[in-house]
Amino acid sequence: MPSYELALVLRQLPRNELMSVIKRTAESILDKGGIIRKLENMGSRALPHKVSEDGLVHREGTHFTIAFDTAPTKIADLKEEFGRDIDIIRRYIFKLEEPEQQPCTLHEEMLPPAYRKDVQQLIEAAKKNQKKKYNYNSGLDYYPFQK
Amino acid sequence: MLRASCQLLTQTALPAGKSGGSGFALEFVRWRRKPRWLPVAKSKMFRVPERKKQSEEERTELMRLHNQYKTQLRSVRQFLREEVVRHEETSTADHIVLTPEQEEAEFLKCVDINATWNAKIAKERDQRLAKEREDKVAYVQERLEARQLREEERREQANLRVLREIESSKTFITRENLDAAIETALANPVDHNFAIDLAGNLYRGRNSSQVPDSTPSSNQHALSN
Repeated sequence: MPSYELALVLRQLPRNELMSVIKRTAESILDKGGIIRKLENMGSRALPHKVSEDGLVHREGTHFTIAFDTAPTKIADLKEEFGRDIDIIRRYIFKLEEPEQQPCTLHEEMLPPAYRKDVQQLIEAAKKNQKKKYNYNSGLDYYPFQK
Repeated sequence: MLRASCQLLTQTALPAGKSGGSGFALEFVRWRRKPRWLPVAKSKMFRVPERKKQSEEERTELMRLHNQYKTQLRSVRQFLREEVVRHEETSTADHIVLTPEQEEAEFLKCVDINATWNAKIAKERDQRLAKEREDKVAYVQERLEARQLREEERREQANLRVLREIESSKTFITRENLDAAIETALANPVDHNFAIDLAGNLYRGRNSSQVPDSTPSSNQHALSN
């Protein structure tokens, strides 16, 4: 099962109601055969712009993320279910991917151009396309081609 | 201007061109009275030009010249043809008559030469095919080994991942500890924002007003990687 991350923006609620909303959300994931890995509270904060959702105007929201695993076929159902919840202002589901390993090559990139591998490759490629030149000290005392 | 020059040219060049009286047969088609793509005039469409009258003497003279020319050409052609036939008969290239024994011997010789050639080529071919087969076997073996290595590595990675998942499954949140987990999460808000300075110091948190102290504080860590 692939890993996903659910990012929620919840409306301003008292603590016990907030708990029930999160519990509802988490249980709907568990009901669909999912695994919850982590819950994270990002705190309450002013929204970047005012948001009208379900007939209410929101200027502040509680940010919450749930890292979970589930079957990809269930994602649409989950989205639909969270979309019906009036306490959730915004819901986004991201696929979690392994971070790409990028080894540091700064010491190679800081070399003078003539020593850099990519520059050397460029020079090789350019040499391939160069027209062959006639060697003047090859014994002939005249130029054998058309000038 | 064009028209004027046109008239000028028709006056000078055309009579000479049409009559053919000048040294070279040149007829201008560009500066004529009408362009080339216009059709024949309606009034001239069914005009049949009159044939030139030939007198009887002229006709007989032309006939005589014609007959003479044709006769001479025919004789030359016949001579050449006979010469070719004569040459073919006298030359020996195509007319070597061999006895059956000689023919048989020649045929056997040809067969011998052919057989030696075939044997030589077969030897080369066998060598080449053997080499190709060897190369192919080596290539396949190499690929098989590479595949085995790849498979092993993949299996190892998968095993590692399974072990990692088993390890992390201890911290999975189930229905039983869901309430407690939500409580803990709500009690401990996290902030993934951070800033980094040129020395590689990490400033965690959202507020950018932190001033780096001389002693590293709790939210200031040297970047490990």
